[in-house]
Amino acid sequence: MTLSYVPGDSLAHRLDPRSKLLVQVGFAAAAYAHTAPRGLAALTLLAVACLSLAGGGPRDLWTYRAAFPVLLLAPLVAGATLGAPWFRVERAATTGLASYRVLLILVVAAGYVRSTPVRDSRAAIQRAVPGKPGQFLGTGVALVFRFLPLLKRDLLTAREAVRARGGGALPVRERVRLVAVAGINRAFGRADRLGTALNARCFAWNPTLPRLALGPADYPALAVGGGLAAAAVASVV
Amino acid sequence: MIEANGVTCRYGRTGDGGSDADDGDSVVAVDDVTLSVPDGELLVVAGANGSGKTTLVRTFNGLVEPDDGTVSVNGTPVSDDLVAARSAVGMVFQDPRDQLVAATVGADVAFGPENLGLSHAEIDRRVAAALDAVNMDGREADRIASLSGGERERVAIAGALAMEPAHLVLDEPFTGLDEPARRSVLDRLRELRTAGTSVIVVTHDLRELLGLADRVVGLSAGRVAVDDAPREAAAELPGLDVRVPASFETDGSPPARTGGADDP
Repeated sequence: MTLSYVPGDSLAHRLDPRSKLLVQVGFAAAAYAHTAPRGLAALTLLAVACLSLAGGGPRDLWTYRAAFPVLLLAPLVAGATLGAPWFRVERAATTGLASYRVLLILVVAAGYVRSTPVRDSRAAIQRAVPGKPGQFLGTGVALVFRFLPLLKRDLLTAREAVRARGGGALPVRERVRLVAVAGINRAFGRADRLGTALNARCFAWNPTLPRLALGPADYPALAVGGGLAAAAVASVV
Repeated sequence: MIEANGVTCRYGRTGDGGSDADDGDSVVAVDDVTLSVPDGELLVVAGANGSGKTTLVRTFNGLVEPDDGTVSVNGTPVSDDLVAARSAVGMVFQDPRDQLVAATVGADVAFGPENLGLSHAEIDRRVAAALDAVNMDGREADRIASLSGGERERVAIAGALAMEPAHLVLDEPFTGLDEPARRSVLDRLRELRTAGTSVIVVTHDLRELLGLADRVVGLSAGRVAVDDAPREAAAELPGLDVRVPASFETDGSPPARTGGADDP
């Protein structure tokens, strides 16, 4: 399963993408500013609420499974020492909290991705960042969101092709090599075909962007985002 | 009208150029092709794999630049105004997955008109009209990933139609489609021709198309080997490794099937 936009009529779907971006930025800032368990507990509730309001659930987090081993191992590595006492709990706890806040940010991001069409994200970015930099950034974000699911599907197809011909019995290293080589080949081909498709459809750096308008539901979201950002700044000052 | 004059395309060119034949370093995909496609015509470009069909039609909207010769659309050379050419000549690729760039049907069909800088009202009108033309009206919010192969093909056609092209090129539109989906696409082509859009279909299998076509161009090794009305062309196409039906009707209705008695 690839995390991507899912059409719907949830509260998050009805929000302006600019509001959602502000909530994300504010949330990330607050997560890095408030690292104590109590602060992270409050942010946990907010993160779960963000994903739920986008119609999402735990299944959406499966997309991040590649990051889970790193997040889980990081506290163990941080706590380990080369001599006695061999393991420092306080270091592991600090890193564990850091891993946890990364997870919370991913949860909020999942809510954003599943409730926001790619072109709305592009519009929000191009309106927030004026001029060429905004066009470049907006187009880049749009292309990444369009290209990554295709690339992932190509890698899965390559893996299935290896398995279908008995490749499952090969050593892990050989399987990784086969899938990587096939995946890179397909990625280049995919990028080439995507470029051709964009050309055929008159790709423009500054197209007509979707209408964006703040509605009544956006004001509480803006207040939450602004409040989180202010709380982060207040804790630093 | 699309006019190609002396179009030659080579791949793997080393820069020494000048030869019209394979020279070991380059392959001539399209070799001195001259043809015109009048408005409202349904033209089939047929040929075996590697005969240059796709390369030729990609010169019609500037996706491939000819090494020699010129292509003009409605009197304007393609190289002079690529955006105009790509607006006038819609392209549906062989694999719709290569063409669909958005997550939902509505967003994908709107992609081209948005790039043209049209107003929101005009974009909405075009999206609705294009989806209606492919019998997918009201499905703007559907996820592309949830569509069947035939539906994806129809969305790809809608994406091209939303540009309101005077000419529509479809590259092997029936590949991978089951029978109902093929019939659906054929119905759409029939309606488009009736509406005055010229349709160019690239294929190596004319079993469904021969009865619908106004004209057939057969390519072999990049050269035009056949350029004739369907009935006359049908006799020569098997020699180009193109499948044709054993019999067909030319009244615009689906071709008569002959119980698998197709010529090889």
